[in-house]
Amino acid sequence: MLYKKKSPLLIFLVPGMVFLFLFMYFPFLENIKNSFYDMTSIVRMPGSEWNYLGFENYKKLFSDQDLKVAILNSLKMMFLTVVFEVGIGFVLAVMVMNIKKGQQIFRTVFFFPIVISATAIGLLFKLFYNFDGGMLNQILLSLGVEKVNWLNPELAFLMVSIPTLWSYVGFYFVILLTGLSDISDDIYEAAEIDGCSKLGQVGYITIPLMKSVIATCITLAVTGALKIFDLPWVIVPNGAPQGVTHFLGTYMYQVTFGMNNYDYGSVLAITIVILGVLVSKLVRLITREN
Amino acid sequence: MKKRILSVVLSMAMVMPILAGCGATKAEVATTEATEATATEEAPEAEEAETAEVATEEKAPVTLKTVSMFGGTDPNAPIYEEINKNFMAENAYITVEDNSQVSDEEWKATVAADFSVGNEPDVLQFFTDATANTIIATDKFVTMDEIKAEYPEYAKDTLDAAMAAVTNTDGVSRAVPTTGYWEGLYCNKDLFDQYGLELPTDWASLTEAISVFNENDIIPIACSLNNVPHYWIEFLMLYAAGEEGYKTVPETAPQDWVTGLNTFKTLRDLGAFPEDTDTVDDAYVGQLFKDKKAAMQLDGSWYLGGVTETDNTVVIPFPGIENQKAATGALVGGMSSGFYITKKAWEDPDKRDAAVKFVMAHTNKESVQKYWNGNGQAACAVDPIDGMSPLALSGLDYSSKATSISAPTDSRIDPEAYKVIVAGIVKVSTGELSAEDLLNEALKINAARK
Repeated sequence: MLYKKKSPLLIFLVPGMVFLFLFMYFPFLENIKNSFYDMTSIVRMPGSEWNYLGFENYKKLFSDQDLKVAILNSLKMMFLTVVFEVGIGFVLAVMVMNIKKGQQIFRTVFFFPIVISATAIGLLFKLFYNFDGGMLNQILLSLGVEKVNWLNPELAFLMVSIPTLWSYVGFYFVILLTGLSDISDDIYEAAEIDGCSKLGQVGYITIPLMKSVIATCITLAVTGALKIFDLPWVIVPNGAPQGVTHFLGTYMYQVTFGMNNYDYGSVLAITIVILGVLVSKLVRLITREN
Repeated sequence: MKKRILSVVLSMAMVMPILAGCGATKAEVATTEATEATATEEAPEAEEAETAEVATEEKAPVTLKTVSMFGGTDPNAPIYEEINKNFMAENAYITVEDNSQVSDEEWKATVAADFSVGNEPDVLQFFTDATANTIIATDKFVTMDEIKAEYPEYAKDTLDAAMAAVTNTDGVSRAVPTTGYWEGLYCNKDLFDQYGLELPTDWASLTEAISVFNENDIIPIACSLNNVPHYWIEFLMLYAAGEEGYKTVPETAPQDWVTGLNTFKTLRDLGAFPEDTDTVDDAYVGQLFKDKKAAMQLDGSWYLGGVTETDNTVVIPFPGIENQKAATGALVGGMSSGFYITKKAWEDPDKRDAAVKFVMAHTNKESVQKYWNGNGQAACAVDPIDGMSPLALSGLDYSSKATSISAPTDSRIDPEAYKVIVAGIVKVSTGELSAEDLLNEALKINAARK
C-alpha cells in the first residue's frame, strides 16, 4: 500500500531537499552572484557597498599563473590516483582474494590508513620530511650522507603525492575486493579446468566482470583528486615551496582565506565545480559499457 | 490507514527535533533564567523576601556575551579567564558567556559574519586599526564619548596616549586598550659568543654574522618566508624608507619600499634563512631558535614569554640595511586592540551596566598590570615588576630606548592588500616576482578600497 501511493515518500524526501537547497544550492548561487562584485569582507556588512566588477575576475583566470600550476597539478594527481590508488588497490584485491588464510588481516592492514585523519597523516609525513631533525634526514645523517631538502621545488610534488596516494589505496582496495567477491568461483574453476593461467583469469574473467566497479572507482578517484586539500595543506601550506604544489582546492582556500580575496575565490570555486562536472562526464563517457 | 499514520508520525519525529532546536523563544529563556534565579534565592522571612525582591528588581540576572582574542593558546588567555572568574564572583547576577579564540583569519571572518547577521556580542575585544574597518562600518559600537557621558569613571586608569593610539581609523575613539607590543630582534647571545661575534648593530655586522653562522652550520635567521615573513617586511620597509616614508601609504610602489623588499633576495642569497624556509611554519622556526639551532629571530614582544632560556637570549634593535633612512633604534610596535561595547548591550538597560563593569574589570590598573607583566607596553601607569628575567629586562631596555615607534603597515592598508604582499614574499626572495610589481598590485587594491 505504502508503495502504491507515492505521496508519503515526499514527506521524507522534502526535508533532505530543503537542507540541500539551503546549505548547498543557495550558497552556490550566492557564490556565483558574489563573483561579480569586489567583496571587501566575507559577508556584506551593513553600511558597506561592494563595487560591481563584471567579468574582471573571470578574465583574471586566464592570466593567473598559480591557477595554471594548480590545474596542472590536479590533472597530474588525477592520473596518479587512477594508476596508483585504483591500480594498486586492484592488484592487492586480486592477490588477497587468491589467498586462503589471513585474508582478514590483509583487509584490515590495507584499509587502516583510511581511518586515520588526513591531517594526522600529513603531520606525520611533514615530520618525516623536515630538513632539521626530520626522520629521513636523520637516517641519511646516520649513514654519513648529506641532508636533503625533501620539499624543495623539484621534489615537493612527488613528496606530497606519496602520502596522498598511499593513504587512499585501502579505500579502493575494499571496494574492489567487494566487487571481486561477487564473481562466482565456478567461472574461475571452469577456466582452470580449461587450462587458463592465474594471470589469464584476471585478464579474461576478473577485469571484464569488474568493469562497472572499476569505472566507479575511477570516477571516485578522479573527482576525489579535484577535491584534494587537507593532506597537501598540512605538508606544504600555501602551495609551498614557491607555489609549485598548489592544487585547485588549496589554491582556492589560500586565495579566499589566506589573501582575503573572496570574490576571486568564488570564481575559483565555480571553476572547480565546472571542472568536476566535465571530468566526471568524460570519465563516464570513457568507461561506459558498450 | 495504519501505515499512513505511521508515516505521518515518522515524519513528525524527523521534523520536530529540527524545529525544536530553533524554537527557544526569548520568553522561554527568560523563564528559565528566572526559575534558576528563584531557585538560588533563599528568603525564609517575609521582610527578607521583600528585600530580595527589590534587589532582584535592581539587579536582574544578566548574561553577557563576550568575545576576545585572548583564547586558546594566547599567552593572555589564563589572565583573561581569571579576571572573568573573579568578575563573576564579585557580580553574582552577571553570567559571562565567553567565546574567545586565538586571533587568526578564520576568527576575524567569524567576528565579521556575526556582525553582519546581527549576532554581535555585547563586549568585543578586537583590533582598532584598519583590520576593524569593516565592522566599524556597521555602526554597532558605542563611542567613548557616549560611555564617558554616563560613566565618567570608565577607562579612568588608561593613559591618554594609549587611548589616542587605539582611536579607530575614522578618528573616533571606541575601544579601551590593555597592552601594546613591540617587535625586535631576538638573539641567542651564547651562539654569538661561541663564534666570537659581536651582536649585530648595522648591515655590515649582520652580514658578517650570517656568513660566520653559515660556515658553522647554524641557521643565521629563523624565519618562515611562506608563513610569517611579516616582521621582516615591516623592518625592511621601515629602515629602507625611514619613519615618514614608511607611514605614508602611496598609490604606486615607492622606490624605498621596493628597496626594502628586495633585501629579502639579498638575505636569501646570503643564506640567511633556513634551507626549508619556503615550507616550514613559524612555530617550527621559533623552535629552531629556542633549540639554539638558529642565531636570530625577528618577533614580537609576545614571543618573549615562550623563550625558556632567558639568561643567554637578548632583544636588540634591528641592525638595519644598507643606506637606511630610519634612525638606529627605530622600532615597529604600538597598541592596536581594545575592548569595545556594542550598541546591542548599551541599549539593553540591564546589560549596559554589566558591559561597562566588565570592560572596567579588564582595563583597570590591576588587570593591565597582570596583562603587561613586564612585557610590551602597558596602557596604564603600571608598577615595576621585581625579579624580571634577564631577557625581559633586555626587552624592556630595548623598547624604552626606541628612537621612534611606528605602527606596522597592516594598520594602515586594506587587509587584502597586505595579504598580497605577504603571499608574494617567497617569490620576491627567489627573484621570480619583482618587489615593485607586488607592491603595485597591493597598493592598487588598497586604493580601490578607499
